[in-house]
Amino acid sequence: MQWLTPITALYAAALTVPLLVLLYFLKLKRVEQIVSSTLLWQRAVQDLQVNAPFQRLRRNILLLLQLLALIAALIALAGPIMSMNSGVGQRTVLLIDRSASMNAQDGDATGLTRLEYAQQQAALLINSMRNRAMFSLQDRADQAMIIAFDERAKVMSNFSSDKRQLLNALNAITPTDKGSLLAETLTVARAFTQAPGEETNGRSAEQRAQLHLFSDGCIADLDRQTLQQDELVYHRMGQSSDNIAITAMQARRSYEQTDQIQVFASLAHFGPSDIDCDVRVSVNDDVIAVRNVQLAAARADANGVTLEAGRASVDVTVTYAGAGLLEVRQLQPDTLAADDAAWAVVAPPRQLSVGLVTQGNPVLTSLLRACPLASLQVMTPDEYSETHGAALQSPFDVTVLDTCVFERLPRGRYLVFGQPSEAMGLTVSGALENQFVIDWRANHTVLKHVNLSHVYAAQAVDAVLPRDARVLAEFNNGPALALVQRGGSAFLWVGFDCVQSNWPFEPSFVLFCYNALDYLGMQVSDTHAAQLKAGEPILVQGLMPQAVGVLQGPDMPELDVQVGAEGSLRFPGTDRVGPYSLTLADEDPQLYAVNLLAAEESAVAPRPEVKVSGRTVQAQSGPIGRSNVPLWPYGVLLVLALVCVEWWVYNSKVRI
Amino acid sequence: MNVTKNKSYRLTDLLDPGFMARLDGLDVLCRKILHGRLQGERRSKRRGQSVEFADHRPYVAGDDLRFVDWNVYGRLDQLFLKLFLEEQDLSVHVAFDSSLSMSQPQASKYKFVKQLSAALGYVSLVNNNRVTVSAFAERVTAQLTHMRGRTRVPALAELLVTQDCDGPSLFDPACQQLAASTPTSGIMMVVSDFFFKDGFESGLKRLIGRGHDLYVIQTLSPAELNPSLSGDLRLVDIEDGDVAEITVSSALVKYYKRNLTAYCNELKAFCTRHGAAYVLASTDDSVEKLVLNYLRRIQLLR
Repeated sequence: MQWLTPITALYAAALTVPLLVLLYFLKLKRVEQIVSSTLLWQRAVQDLQVNAPFQRLRRNILLLLQLLALIAALIALAGPIMSMNSGVGQRTVLLIDRSASMNAQDGDATGLTRLEYAQQQAALLINSMRNRAMFSLQDRADQAMIIAFDERAKVMSNFSSDKRQLLNALNAITPTDKGSLLAETLTVARAFTQAPGEETNGRSAEQRAQLHLFSDGCIADLDRQTLQQDELVYHRMGQSSDNIAITAMQARRSYEQTDQIQVFASLAHFGPSDIDCDVRVSVNDDVIAVRNVQLAAARADANGVTLEAGRASVDVTVTYAGAGLLEVRQLQPDTLAADDAAWAVVAPPRQLSVGLVTQGNPVLTSLLRACPLASLQVMTPDEYSETHGAALQSPFDVTVLDTCVFERLPRGRYLVFGQPSEAMGLTVSGALENQFVIDWRANHTVLKHVNLSHVYAAQAVDAVLPRDARVLAEFNNGPALALVQRGGSAFLWVGFDCVQSNWPFEPSFVLFCYNALDYLGMQVSDTHAAQLKAGEPILVQGLMPQAVGVLQGPDMPELDVQVGAEGSLRFPGTDRVGPYSLTLADEDPQLYAVNLLAAEESAVAPRPEVKVSGRTVQAQSGPIGRSNVPLWPYGVLLVLALVCVEWWVYNSKVRI
Repeated sequence: MNVTKNKSYRLTDLLDPGFMARLDGLDVLCRKILHGRLQGERRSKRRGQSVEFADHRPYVAGDDLRFVDWNVYGRLDQLFLKLFLEEQDLSVHVAFDSSLSMSQPQASKYKFVKQLSAALGYVSLVNNNRVTVSAFAERVTAQLTHMRGRTRVPALAELLVTQDCDGPSLFDPACQQLAASTPTSGIMMVVSDFFFKDGFESGLKRLIGRGHDLYVIQTLSPAELNPSLSGDLRLVDIEDGDVAEITVSSALVKYYKRNLTAYCNELKAFCTRHGAAYVLASTDDSVEKLVLNYLRRIQLLR
């Protein structure tokens, strides 16, 4: 048995025990009573007790009982505990995994999620911490820090010995459907651990904190971390590996028949036995199709950790010409719900209206005419200025400016070749000659399948881009392609005249123009921007600056949002999977689908051990018991019992 | 005597008329043959002129020739005088305690004492005894002396009704005064609680020394016999303000009762040792029961 606050009890004992004995010497405030004679009473009192004060205390069972009750109270105050065998160090960092796999509902037999069970277990550790003695200058309390992590680390509480604060911080951890990475968490934990100062109550940085990891072990970057010996204690959460997940899903309109949507979904089964499951495809909650899928059992090692999941795929063609939210959901109950469904936002089939402003560029004109556009209007710069120069909103979905410069441009989307207009916010610093494209972002939508390795420009514009511009391709000495957002307009700037280069002779030019129109027209980019993974921000551009709207999503209240001054809106809080909806004033809602689609999170089999930098950390055996069983309630019960006995003794003594 | 005369008092203020009617048939008995002062109905130690023969003695010159027994002279030829028993009256002294201690609790004890004194005084008066009634505290505070006959009953009633409790009790000086005011020996009945902090021995010795046939009647209230106090108390003596701080417990009450019994036994033993009679009366009982039953049983009354 150990004591949490022995010094407090000693101080209290030094104060109260003499006080109690002293109280027995003090005279009571007695009720005055007139009697005929005190002769016999005085004799009786003399017979009953002698005058010596300490002999008054002799054989005084009431005082004895009160002293015992006081001692029992002091013992309770000292905070006795049964044992400290759980090994809570002086400083503890609680790392709580709140990634998608921690939402599996197999935390314990009562149906708690792994995260809820982890919070319970961590609360037990916190309650077992040693308190600081109230009046001691040397005694120190145990301290704990709480970090919740998924792909990012979030410090819920700095080092503190305040159990209430720690428990509040622990309860404030909310689940997410993101992946799980430990690197940032360890960096943050070590930064706090090794920073002595006020926040750590001046504790030396040399004192190493012990890390308690509450997780199921489904952490992607564990093998890339380094830990010292015995630095990490791993508490395994979860029991089951039975899970069916949608690990991939795509829905896109057919090029040939635009009213048809091709839906492709890949399923993975992590359970130990073969299983049949139904997959339901619905659009705007209308069930379109249900497919039965047979999934083989997963292959697992001796510890039950999945080595290879049983996989199957579903391919469904849906005829639907409108816009909406498409959902693919597997209907077999399992432990993790977040990966049971995947969503996709489908846009209606649409063709662009494009305006080409040029002095006469046959290459561009013929190329655009070859594209599947709704309309193409070719204008000279003067015609454009006269017709649309004063408009607020561009009448075209995309306007192509071929080496034309305007003082003012209506709000819209522009593909600009050569000299930039003033409205784009670029500063032209000179001209470049004989430039080759040396680097480009091949994974950007605009440059998908575009090879710029042979593009040469005899003349190019040397411009200084604004800080928020995104460079897509670079010449030897300056930017070649850039995306600029200004005043609610989007500009895809090509830093040279295409006829001053060999690009029109390259196949990449056609692909670029197609992608650029697609991207700017939001025909493709809408779908791409609306298809997110959990944790990816919702990013909308080309909106009316300062416009206000409402954002709705799963497990979150309605959120009022406001578009920034540059006409873009960014919402990073896509922690949970599901459809999100952004409604700006007087506009139709824009849908965004946030999916898990991560096989590593869907493989929910809890790891019996984690390997960190080649060192294996075994999971703690069994759940955290009440490692430090507090004994103070028994002390309080003893006090109550002694007080009852004292009351009984007192009554039996005064009964005549 | 300082008794006011502007109101007529009756003994029925204290006693029930029926009880008084029963008292009419009683008389005071004396265990001793005492000297009286006047011709009366009681045998005296003196030889006198009653009809009851007592003894002979030789004739001496100067004796009254009417009492010479001539029959003896005829047989023995010597002159002998016939002696007869003297019958004198009986002095009855009733002394009751009027100190402040008698006023507790709620004056029930004092009322009991006055009723008892009234009954004893009434019995004595209606039988033509010479009755003296005294109230005492630190001294004799009121006294009616040498009363005889029913005509003195109102005076007795007035003294008993008007006398209030006052002052502390100093038994020895009071007894000294009582003894001085009753030169003739007779029956002395002292009614009190006998809680005298200066002791009762010397006072009683003074009365016994006067040759009185002493009856000590100790009257105690139920609150004194079986106290029903509780809690932490500060007991204040009503007479001298003396304080006793107690925490009432069963042990303390046990000690109190043990001391009370010892005190009463001590008083009783003193009385027995000095030829006095001891009576313990509880004010919880009625005066009628005490007088008609108990006092008759111990032959104070008949």
